[in-house]
Amino acid sequence: MQRRYYHPSKKCYWGIMMHIPDGFLSPTICILMYVISITFLVWSWRKAKATYSRSLAPLLAVSSAFVFAAQMINFPIAYGTSGHLVGGTFLAILLGPYAAILSMTIVLMMQTLFFADGGIFTFGANVFNMAVIGGLSLFLVMFLTKDPKRSNRFFLSVFTVSWLSVVLGALACGLQIGFSPVFSDAGGIAVTVPAMLFWHVLIGLGEAAITVTLISQLHRLQPTVLNGLATLRGRLE
Amino acid sequence: MKGYLKALILTLVCLAILIPFASSFPDGLEKVVETLGIEEHTPTWTGLMPDYALPTIDDPYVSTLLAGTFGVFLVLGVTFMLGMAITKPDK
Repeated sequence: MQRRYYHPSKKCYWGIMMHIPDGFLSPTICILMYVISITFLVWSWRKAKATYSRSLAPLLAVSSAFVFAAQMINFPIAYGTSGHLVGGTFLAILLGPYAAILSMTIVLMMQTLFFADGGIFTFGANVFNMAVIGGLSLFLVMFLTKDPKRSNRFFLSVFTVSWLSVVLGALACGLQIGFSPVFSDAGGIAVTVPAMLFWHVLIGLGEAAITVTLISQLHRLQPTVLNGLATLRGRLE
Repeated sequence: MKGYLKALILTLVCLAILIPFASSFPDGLEKVVETLGIEEHTPTWTGLMPDYALPTIDDPYVSTLLAGTFGVFLVLGVTFMLGMAITKPDK
């Protein structure tokens, strides 16, 4: 979300989609989303400790820094609306679901604390919509790519799943704001869910195109970097 | 390790190049909020660099680039500590 009234003189402003600011969600929903997200974070932390070796640390740091930078660059989509990469699926493919959930949470936390991007009370909701859904999306990539040797099918799954991760995040966001009293006069979920879905079905295409481009380039240049899949395959097989 | 440094430099270069082209249109959620005519409240916490800009610098490009570079290194540092915390030392 953008808060352009901070700089009314500035013609340009920077923002992030789906980062819900404070004041939009009811206290009940804020608490509920905190509980759900913390549960996932504890689960990811435990799983991560049992899964990863030290060599992941630099990759984790650099890819998270990249996602932070990418989230600053909004691309126009249609009808005067913009979107940008969330990068949840991207991180999950590189780092595996557990480290992806944790590192995306750090990115969101820094955005909230230092850049006032996303609220403090709504932080739990933002973690769920972007970090948890993004990280878990890797399981769907795995499910859709049964044979790892068929790279076309892998890229098609990456495209579909990264698109879906944005759409599901938007659906969750639409439900969270729709059930909050601030939006009840506007029509509640009957209005917020379709509106959020409409834009993010389009924004998701941008997400999918960027994610597939990044992953296919990494696949070509540095296939060893695609740790997420390797880690998970090793565990599941 | 060299590859990671390259990726980091590439990230900062891309940021510097792409900032002027970043769309200033409202994003998905903001568009919905605008359409429904809902006012944003003054936030409880405004952060150090609201809207990815240093309040003391007037030039929007420089201001955003500095804030962005700060953010990249901040995230890099904190996630590296996370990486050390959740991984086991190699034997």
